[in-house]
Amino acid sequence: MARQKQIYARPALCAGCRICANACAVVNRGVANPRLGAIRIRQNLIERYEFQEICRHCEEPPCLDACMVGCISKDARTGLVIQDQSRCVGCWMCLMVCPFGAVGRDVANHVAIKCNRCQDRKTPACVEACPTGALVFEAREDAVFEPFFTEPTVAS
Amino acid sequence: MTHQKARPICQNALVNLTDGIVEYFATPEEIIKKFLGGRGLNMYYLYKYLKPDCDPLSPDNVLIIGNGLLTGMLVPNSGRHNVTCKSPESGIIGDANIGGFFGPELRFAGIDRLIITGRAKSPVYLYVEDGRIEIRDATPYWGLTCTQTQVKIKYDLGSDIEIECIGPAGENLVRFAATRYGLKNAAGRCGTGAVLGSKNLKAVVARGNRGLPVADPEGMFAKYIELRDYLNKSKVIGVMGRVGTPLLYDVSNYLGAIRTHNSQQTVFFDTLNAEEIHKYVDKMLSCYNCVVHCRHRNRLGGEGPEYTSEVLVGANIGVADTYQVIDLNNLVNDLGLDVSSTGTYIAWAIELFERGYLSAEKVGYTLRFGDYPGLRRLIEDIAYRRGFGDVLAEGSRLVEKFGPETADFLIAIKGLPQSDPHDVRYLKGFALGIATASRGADHLRSRPTLEIFDLPSEVRRQIYGEPIDPNPTSYNSKGRLVYFHENIYATIDCLGICKFICHGFNSPRNLNYTHFKDLIRLAYGLEFSEQELEEIGRRVIDLERLLNYQLKGVTRKDDTLPARYFDEPMPSARAKGSCVDRAGFNKMLDDYYALRGWSKDGLLPAERVAELNALRDAT
Repeated sequence: MARQKQIYARPALCAGCRICANACAVVNRGVANPRLGAIRIRQNLIERYEFQEICRHCEEPPCLDACMVGCISKDARTGLVIQDQSRCVGCWMCLMVCPFGAVGRDVANHVAIKCNRCQDRKTPACVEACPTGALVFEAREDAVFEPFFTEPTVAS
Repeated sequence: MTHQKARPICQNALVNLTDGIVEYFATPEEIIKKFLGGRGLNMYYLYKYLKPDCDPLSPDNVLIIGNGLLTGMLVPNSGRHNVTCKSPESGIIGDANIGGFFGPELRFAGIDRLIITGRAKSPVYLYVEDGRIEIRDATPYWGLTCTQTQVKIKYDLGSDIEIECIGPAGENLVRFAATRYGLKNAAGRCGTGAVLGSKNLKAVVARGNRGLPVADPEGMFAKYIELRDYLNKSKVIGVMGRVGTPLLYDVSNYLGAIRTHNSQQTVFFDTLNAEEIHKYVDKMLSCYNCVVHCRHRNRLGGEGPEYTSEVLVGANIGVADTYQVIDLNNLVNDLGLDVSSTGTYIAWAIELFERGYLSAEKVGYTLRFGDYPGLRRLIEDIAYRRGFGDVLAEGSRLVEKFGPETADFLIAIKGLPQSDPHDVRYLKGFALGIATASRGADHLRSRPTLEIFDLPSEVRRQIYGEPIDPNPTSYNSKGRLVYFHENIYATIDCLGICKFICHGFNSPRNLNYTHFKDLIRLAYGLEFSEQELEEIGRRVIDLERLLNYQLKGVTRKDDTLPARYFDEPMPSARAKGSCVDRAGFNKMLDDYYALRGWSKDGLLPAERVAELNALRDAT
C-alpha cells in the first residue's frame, strides 16, 4: 500500500485559536462549536501550553476493538479508521482506550466524536482552516519530532 | 449532521441576585434587525431596565454581559462580547469589549446575554450550562486574584470550562476595576469589575456543550477561507501577529506623541520598543477564532504588554525598564485593575504631588515618576484599598476632593481617563474622536487614523463617500472621519468581531459592511443591506447619547478635551508645537453634530428619541 497522507500537528506554531475544531464542527456537523469538532486544542493559559489532540488513524486501533456496537471500522483501501456516528450509543469506551485522547464527546446528543478525515474533501477542513500552518497534511516517511516551545513567535 | 435543539438567535437570561430568580426570554427578530446584538442589544436592554438615577454600585444597577450576533461562529476573530452597565467611574454608560474564549462558550452553553440585577447576600458565582443558570456559592474564591480564582475554579469544576471573573480590585469596589478572562483579556474600561463586586458576583462560569446552528455551513467555511486569505495579505495584520500592538510605540515616539509623565512630555525611551518587549515574549497567542494572534505570552508569567499598558504603566508614570514595565502590567492584570485608568490616575497623582496639591503627610510616602518599587506598592494599595491607594481608588471623582483646578491635569473626558497612549494634540481627527466617544475618552469608539497613510484621494473618497482633507493637522472634514469610524466600530461591536480586522482600523482594507452582510446571511439566513448595517451603528450611537443625557445630562459641554491638550503645545520631536485650537475644535464638533443630525448643543432630535422609546416599549 502506498504511503497515505496524514495530518501532522506542529504545536509550536499553534496559537490556540480553535479555528480547526470550529471548522470541523461546521463542515461535518453543521453547527459552530469547537467542542464538537474531531480535533481539539488542549490549552492552558496559566500553565502555558497548547497542543492539538488529533486522531492518528492507528494501524491497530484500540477504539475499533473497544467499540461494542461495531460502529468503528478500518477501511482496507485507505487505512482510515472510520466511525459511523448514527450507530454510536455513547458508551465512551473508545474515549477510554484511545491513547492519544483523540476521541471527543457530544454530550447533548450522547455520541462520540471521532475524526473521519473528511473523506469527500481533498484537504481535511481543519488543515485547510488553520491560519498559522500548525497543521499539515502530507506523506512523511517517518514522523519527525515536533518541538513544543522553541519558536518564540508563530509564523504568519 | 448532528441534531440540535431549536434555539432562538438571541436567548437572554434576566438574573436577579437579590431574590435568586432567573427568567429566560428570547429577543424578537424585529429588535435584532434594529440592534444586531453585542453592544447594540446591551444598550437596548440597559435603556429598558436601568433606572437613570440609580447609584452605580447599588443593587439597582444593571450589568449586562452580551454576545455579538456572530460571536462563536466560524468567522475570523469572532470571539468578542460586551460588558455594559452604568459606570461607577464616570456616572455615564459603562461599556467594555472583551476577547478571549468566554463569550463563545456562553453562547454554546445556550445563553447569549446575561442581564444581572440586585445584590447577592454572600459571594456567589453563576454557572451556565445547557441553557440553564445556577447561582452557586463563591465564598472559597473570594479574595483571590484573577489568576488564582481561575485556577481554583478549574480545579473544582474541571478544566473544560471558561471563566470570567474579578480580582481583589473588583471586590474592594475600586471604581476602575476590570472584569477579566484568562491572564490578560479584560472588559477593562468604566469599572465593570466594581459593579460585579458590588453585586457580590465573583465570577461567571460557562460550559458550552451545544452547537450554534449555521444556516449555510459549506458557504460559511468557504467564506472563512476567503476572508482569512484576504486578511493575511494585509501588512498591518502580519506585523501585528509577529510583535503585537507595541509596534505602534516606535511610530508614536518618532512623531513625539507618547503620553509621558502625565502628558507633560511626549517622547520616551526606546526600551519600550516592540523589539525590546519581544525579548520577553515566549509565543504569540490567539483569542477565539482569531487569524491575527496579537497576544503575547511573556516570560514573567503573564500576558502582554499591549501598547496601551506599556505606555500607561511605563512612560506615563516614568518607568523605563522593560522588565519592570512588564512586571507592572502583569500585576495590574492579576489584581483586576483597568490599566488605562490606573496609569492615568497614578501619573495625575504624581503631578499633583510635584505641584504641591498633595503632600507627603497626606500620601504617607513620596510620589515620584519612575519610582518602580513605590509605584508597584501604590498599585497594590489601590487594589486592596490601603492607605493612599484607598483615596486613589475613587478615580476621577477625586476632582471634587482635591479641588476643581486639579481637573486640568487629569487626562480624562466625561470622567473617564484616556485609554490610548497617543497624545492627540497632533492628530485633530483623533482628538475629536476621543471627545465625542460615548463612554469617555476612548480611542476604540472611533480611532480615525487613516489620514496618516497618505492614501490617494479617490481611495479616500471611496471610503468616506466624499472628499476628505488628507492633512491630519487641519480641522476640515474631521467630523466626517469620526462619523464614519464611529458607525462601523459600533456595528462591529454589535457583531462581536475584533476591530483589528475591521475596515478603517489601521488599514484601508479589511472587513467592511459588505463582508458583514454576507457573514450574517451565511450564519442565520437574515438579509441586511450595507445601508441598514451602517444605520444600526448610527442608531446605537444615538441610543448611547440619549442614555448619557438621561444619566448625567451629557451635552456639548462634555464633548471636550483635557485642558492640557488645548493650552500646552507639545514639547518635542516632529509634533513639537502642536495643540488643539478651541475654535477649530468647535468647528469639527459642529460638522460632527450636523452629520449625526444632532442639535448644536449635541442633543438628539425629538423624533429619534420617540423612535428609540417606541422600540424600548415594543417588547
